[in-house]
Amino acid sequence: MSVDTREAGVPRTVTQLMKVRGMSMSYGTGTAENKIIENLDLDVDTGEFVSIVGPSGVGKTTLLRCLSGLLQPKAGTISVGGQEIKGPHPDLAVVFQDYSRSLMPWMTTRENVAFPLQGKGRGKIERNALAEKNLQAVGLEGQGDKYPWEMSGGMQQRVAIARALAYNAKVLLMDEPFASVDAQTRFDLEDLVISLQQELGVTIILVTHDIDEALYLADKVVVIAEKPATVVDEIETGFGDHRDQVETKADPRFAEARARILHRLRAH
Amino acid sequence: MTDTTLDSAAAPVRTKVRRRAALGSRPVWLQAFDSVWLIAVVFVLWWVFSAKSTNFFIPSLQEILASLGGDLGNGVILAGAAYSLTNLAVGLILAVAVGIILGIALGELDRLRLIVDPIINFFRSIPQAALVPLIIGAFGVGQGPKIYTIAFACMWPVLLNTIDGVLGIEPTIRKFSQVYRIPKWLHFRRVVLPAALPQIVAGIRVALPIGITVMVVSEMFAATEGLGFYILNSSATFKVSETWAGALFVGVIGYILSVLFVVFERRLLRWYFASAAK
Repeated sequence: MSVDTREAGVPRTVTQLMKVRGMSMSYGTGTAENKIIENLDLDVDTGEFVSIVGPSGVGKTTLLRCLSGLLQPKAGTISVGGQEIKGPHPDLAVVFQDYSRSLMPWMTTRENVAFPLQGKGRGKIERNALAEKNLQAVGLEGQGDKYPWEMSGGMQQRVAIARALAYNAKVLLMDEPFASVDAQTRFDLEDLVISLQQELGVTIILVTHDIDEALYLADKVVVIAEKPATVVDEIETGFGDHRDQVETKADPRFAEARARILHRLRAH
Repeated sequence: MTDTTLDSAAAPVRTKVRRRAALGSRPVWLQAFDSVWLIAVVFVLWWVFSAKSTNFFIPSLQEILASLGGDLGNGVILAGAAYSLTNLAVGLILAVAVGIILGIALGELDRLRLIVDPIINFFRSIPQAALVPLIIGAFGVGQGPKIYTIAFACMWPVLLNTIDGVLGIEPTIRKFSQVYRIPKWLHFRRVVLPAALPQIVAGIRVALPIGITVMVVSEMFAATEGLGFYILNSSATFKVSETWAGALFVGVIGYILSVLFVVFERRLLRWYFASAAK
């Protein structure tokens, strides 16, 4: 059962955390202007898991950079907790696609996780304790002294997730975080993220081109397409808290939603 | 002009990561043997072919080593070496400090780099040894000007490699620093500096022999101390075997320093060599 809440305007009992209104982004100016995103709206509630799915090259990465404050949109507003985002913000953390490039090879995994906390002015003992706690949360207990390059790709991405969690942002932005690991590791990481989200109540926005991944993980899937990109559909998945790689994906609602998304993407 | 103006002009030195891997499978004693046999052969040949030399300017190796032994024994060479190496050490430290600080600033600030780029390429093209008499003439005959000359000559490879290292930093790491709002000073110290360090160290490795050359040359002008003075003085008084002994001793110092430097480099960049070997 899928309900398009945006058009239906169902009243919400949960609090809204992130709000994007009329966001447009383009590179260049005048006749050379290349519009990437036009008039995009997005609503994310506290504790919600939102997947943004779209074909390769549609502008997903640009969208995520705008949401993370790395890029300033040409028009529209982005706000978190009622506060407008004008640049990188302490309420926003990002897990980058390429773990091997976003972790620093000259730091141990503990130092990698603790480092952003140093920027927040936390003391060394507190930093290390938080790093250890979050490494434990992602299943890397006692691995803090290892260097990232001593670990597998999946473990490195766990470190990157621990780093984002330790930063204690309200919203976790994930840019195709499982795109460069093998299928089995990918399933493990997906399940890890689901359980972390449920345990810690963190709000997650995940960008992906993989429809199955988007559906499996999310409470709400936002489909973006067209050129310039805009939201073409929103689907509440309604799978609840219990997710299983086999069961959930065999759910008739899963197949129905996947068909609907595919249909939307093909139509554009 | 593009971002790459400086590095393409400078052709900075890349660190040799892979070289050792190719030798990896051979036994250690064989590797050790390989690194000494050629130099032993050269010395034996030198000894044999110079033994009956009648050329005044090419004394036999036996004579050279006798002079070296004598002046090592009476402390003349060691006193000179202490003076020279002090100048070299202080000069290098200055060069490294200035080169890294300027290099990070120029690597990070595109506009500044654009402005300073022509000046850098002008100054680095001037033969460093040619500046020695000018600097000493301008600043006097003391130890200071000799140190400045060494520092000036050694700064260029460090500076250019630092700029190149900073420009080569992984864009994702920069985005990380921005998103996680790493304060500027922390960003320079814990992100930019370590990321550029392999290139910086490669620059210092190039600066070392330049420093030794300038060290010797700087003591050939208005000096009364140092290895350069020893070489010049012996040659002026026609003690040719001492001149050779001095040159040989400088060569040995250069070799020892480069070996020590490799050890230092391996320790400092442990993460770099270990991750590259993966």
